[in-house]
Amino acid sequence: MAMNIKNFKLNSKIIALCLVSMLIYSCGDPKPTENENADDLPDTDTVKALALNVGGQLFSIPSPMQTALLIQKSGVAYDKTILNAGGKNSQYVSDYTKALNLGIYGADLGYVSMYNQTQDALGYLGAVKNLADKIGVSAAFDQSTMKRINDNISNKDSMLVLVGVAYRATDSYLKTNKRTEISSLILTGGWIESMHFSISAYSSKPTDELKYRIAEQKQALGSIIKLINSHNLPTANLLVKDLEELAKIYEGVNFIYNFVEPTTDEAKKTTYINSTTEISISKAQIEQIAAKILAIRNNIINAKS
Amino acid sequence: MKKNFYKTLLILSIVGLSNTVNAQCDSIASLCSKHIIAQFISDGQSYRSLLLNSEEMAEFHTTFFGETTYRIAACSGKTDGNLIFNIYDQDRHLLFSNKNYTNAPHWDFKVKSTLECIIEAQLDPNKNAGSGCAVILIGFKQK
Repeated sequence: MAMNIKNFKLNSKIIALCLVSMLIYSCGDPKPTENENADDLPDTDTVKALALNVGGQLFSIPSPMQTALLIQKSGVAYDKTILNAGGKNSQYVSDYTKALNLGIYGADLGYVSMYNQTQDALGYLGAVKNLADKIGVSAAFDQSTMKRINDNISNKDSMLVLVGVAYRATDSYLKTNKRTEISSLILTGGWIESMHFSISAYSSKPTDELKYRIAEQKQALGSIIKLINSHNLPTANLLVKDLEELAKIYEGVNFIYNFVEPTTDEAKKTTYINSTTEISISKAQIEQIAAKILAIRNNIINAKS
Repeated sequence: MKKNFYKTLLILSIVGLSNTVNAQCDSIASLCSKHIIAQFISDGQSYRSLLLNSEEMAEFHTTFFGETTYRIAACSGKTDGNLIFNIYDQDRHLLFSNKNYTNAPHWDFKVKSTLECIIEAQLDPNKNAGSGCAVILIGFKQK
């Protein structure tokens, strides 16, 4: 035991000195030189505790704007009533509800931009800016970004690009500042709103394309559950329970994947992924998914805390 | 007294190094964003991972939707070409590796039908002797 304590003291000194050396070194040039090797680094577990993610699994959530784009392309008319009213943004008090609704408003901003609804876009931009400020990510929605968005508000293509860039800047800012739980909640809110878009569009125009898009969210849902669970947020217990119930419904949605060799055009730096997937989802499953998404979304947008 | 000094030094160093790592990832993400040009809409996420050596891999699962073109940008360090990325399908068929194209920092993928993919990223052992922050960005556009 005494031996262990001695070793610990010695290790602490060595690790501290190593880390100080690393810190001093890293202030100069972050790129390692050829003479460096992994042995110069401190204990792996010590370093692993430092970063957001070290050589592990990352979670990718589809952009809500991708779904909005599909809906608009499929000829479904603009419907403002499906969106969360921008004026409700002041009722969200906790960081938890603010973050989820920031994701929802971001998706709504993408949706109204997609349909070139300039006036509505201004309203949602205000709601996004307000929640972003309150949550402490105003750096991602700074004056110059807001000006660029405002200047391009009637240009659909520029708007979509700028909103995507602003949300990526938010994600980046939150990760840099070790607030990954907020980043995860924003992504979750955006995903739930995009599901709501798909379901609303499918009820007004039940095309196969929209039906399959709902089915294709199975993996994204799994990623969202892992993402939220990774933060152990007590405030998210109900949300996780609801998402797990949704995942149970998705268990019955089946995919048959057929691999086809991809082809690459090197000159165009493009690879054509030729594989195909057959999807099987029933009307009853769509209805169950729709009911669950509606309940989850209502809990989020009607929160008054 | 001495014990406390080392303890404090250790804590301060960990906090300092953590901030440095995050700042490095941030500047790499910023440099990498130049590859997601204006025709592509960002998916709103910045995937970043600290890789401790060239054997370590960052992995993430994503869905590529059909009838969509994706652009993937992969960066580490201040220059292009330090990061190798591989894309596999759900059955682990290799769909693409930038290693076959001089570690191209970005590549486009035209997807016929929706599929689940696994993206793996690792530092190129020929260009990185130590650790580094790996950043991957994704943009998309309708076909």
